[in-house]
Amino acid sequence: MRNISSLLFSGGLAFLLLVLATQLPFGHTSMLLGNDILQAAPDEVGTGNIVAAVLLAYRGIDTLGELAILFTAAASVGLILGQRSNHSAKRDKTITESHFITSRASDLMMPLLIIVGFYIIFYGHLTPGGGFQGGVILAIAFFLPVLTRPGTTIDHGMITIIEGLAGAGFIMIGLWAMLYGKPFLQPFFDTFLGNGIFGSLWSAGTLPLLYLAVGLKVGAELAGLLVTISEAPAAEVERT
Amino acid sequence: MDNLILVVILPLLAAFLMPAMARTSEVLARVTGLMVLFISIIIITSVWGSVDEQAVSYAIGGFRPPMGIVFYIDQLSLLFALLIPVMILLFWPWNKVTHIREYSLMMLLTASASGLVLSGDLFNIYVFYELLAVASYGLVVAQGRAGKKGEGAALAASLRYLILGAVGSVMMLIGIAIIYTQAGTLNLAHLALLAPEKLNNMAGLSAFALILIGVGVKAELFPVNTWVPEVYGAVSTRLSALMAGLLSKLAVIVIIRVLVLLFPQPEALQLMTILGMLGVISGELVAWRSRDMIRMLSFSSIGQLGLVFVAFSIPGDMGLMAGFAVALHHLLVKPALFMLASGWTGPLESLKGAAKQSPYIAALFVLLVMSLLGVPPLPGFWAKLLIVVNLASQAAPVYQFALAFVLIATVIEAAYLYRVVMILYHPNQGQQASVREKHKAFELVIASGAAVILIAVALQVQSMETKLSSMARQTGDRQHYINTVFSKLDLADIYHQNKVQQTDFRSNNQLQGSK
Repeated sequence: MRNISSLLFSGGLAFLLLVLATQLPFGHTSMLLGNDILQAAPDEVGTGNIVAAVLLAYRGIDTLGELAILFTAAASVGLILGQRSNHSAKRDKTITESHFITSRASDLMMPLLIIVGFYIIFYGHLTPGGGFQGGVILAIAFFLPVLTRPGTTIDHGMITIIEGLAGAGFIMIGLWAMLYGKPFLQPFFDTFLGNGIFGSLWSAGTLPLLYLAVGLKVGAELAGLLVTISEAPAAEVERT
Repeated sequence: MDNLILVVILPLLAAFLMPAMARTSEVLARVTGLMVLFISIIIITSVWGSVDEQAVSYAIGGFRPPMGIVFYIDQLSLLFALLIPVMILLFWPWNKVTHIREYSLMMLLTASASGLVLSGDLFNIYVFYELLAVASYGLVVAQGRAGKKGEGAALAASLRYLILGAVGSVMMLIGIAIIYTQAGTLNLAHLALLAPEKLNNMAGLSAFALILIGVGVKAELFPVNTWVPEVYGAVSTRLSALMAGLLSKLAVIVIIRVLVLLFPQPEALQLMTILGMLGVISGELVAWRSRDMIRMLSFSSIGQLGLVFVAFSIPGDMGLMAGFAVALHHLLVKPALFMLASGWTGPLESLKGAAKQSPYIAALFVLLVMSLLGVPPLPGFWAKLLIVVNLASQAAPVYQFALAFVLIATVIEAAYLYRVVMILYHPNQGQQASVREKHKAFELVIASGAAVILIAVALQVQSMETKLSSMARQTGDRQHYINTVFSKLDLADIYHQNKVQQTDFRSNNQLQGSK
């Protein structure tokens, strides 16, 4: 009965949304705001990547909010899983070491992944990419050894400190502008950086620093989340 | 006024740093949260009253309004920006936390709630709403763990809450996406300018319906409120007081902003009336059937929120005023009742004769309940009177139905509240009187404080009325909102662009026609 009613509900919702979709002007999207930003961003913010300008400058506080959502989700998962693994922290010794090829490949991959991750973060304001994407790659770089060598653990304290400082760094850069009498998160203020030369690494004011903070935070958050989940005792889940 | 953004930023900063701080000094981390709350309260009180005449907008990052995000500060947002840190401080989990991350979550709740009421950008509101939702899922899990019903029930409750909340968030996001495809902007003031032309159609209305249902999950709106009794039953009373009192009202504020600025159509209002009156009647009926104090209060909360929706759906400033009156009254009374109920768990029958054991608590309970019901001189009466009078003055038949529903619901409410009072004052002691939990001091302090405020308001009805009506007038004034956010120059620009856009659209239509 419950299945049927939920099927009816989802079917009805899908139908309504489809009807709605036919009403929307496809291909004639109203680019009211988009056009303005496309025209203004290269001069006003000085980024080669307009997405970065929207993400960090025009809608910087949204990005801060999204970082906070990620942080909250990780903290909540930590609250649910972390405490359980504390009193059953003894790791299962029966898991065998992975094969030669896997472990050596992961050793080889790790430095490369770190370089790629940081490259994507640092050039986020010039090329497609940025803190979120680069951060995910960094997280994978540090999670790979945990996957291939089941015995290894990542220092949770280190992760907590990195994610705390990176998040605080983002906000501090925003508050720094306020010290100069500018609004919160304004990327340009006197005596610091300025617009720079369009297309060079040191351009677009504080945007590269903001992206670095985003990248480190996302990386630490995701690595912490993955490690917490992988450390959660599987046996206990099976029992319940 | 520029410092007001710190109300959102400082709690976020504290939340990020707390877990790292706790590694060196747990005490420092604990104190930080309280300090941030105090600083927030000081910042807000320092600008209190400065927006009574003219609201203020603050462009974050210094980018011009339609492109950048603005915060909009008027009487309504300032009032809630003050209520948030005050209430969080009152219901702060002093030493009951299991992990420092829980303080972090409380800080995130403060930040997101403040951002939600201050923001003047639709997508920014969504981001803060989502943050609020995720933080409350985390808190429900964390507090439910230490709560009354044990870990399993709390986890199940929070999982269901999470699923329903996630569906709600997706619906809200779809609604915002539809608005964006129609109008091409997300700034509320800009949308308010374009709404009469671009959102006054079926797509716009369905966007409103989606947002209403999506945000309604937090606001305990009729079809999406099934999580309410389960979650409030599983978590600590502090958290349920906070959620029923404060968080539900924040969701209502979002709906009000969207409704006033974007969708002044009568269809949108009537949709809200219908959902509201279904909420009133269903909430009160189930509350009447429930045999447990917390459950009863949870369902009564659904009923009261339904009443809030009915009030806000009355067109014009009077409707807004009635809505604010009921919402603020509920915000004051329901947390206090939850505080009193925390010592009175278990089936209602076991509370027989509780008044003899603790006459002061029972007297407080009766006072609060009378106000909830709307017994004259108490503020609850004036709030309900506003609704009834304004409903009666509306011509549309749906409002006459709503009036009937509200009156019937009041009778049901009276029936079950009277029953509870009779049980409390029963001459025979219940069997479990001796094992009953004692009320904690802070619970009594909060409940007494609420009662004192209630009586003070009852004595000052006249001045409260002028305050509320001025708040309602400011909130209901779309042109005021638009003029505050945009300068004259910006407005001229936008009007110019709009004409261009319109001709574009027409030529598109002709193209389609010729095909």
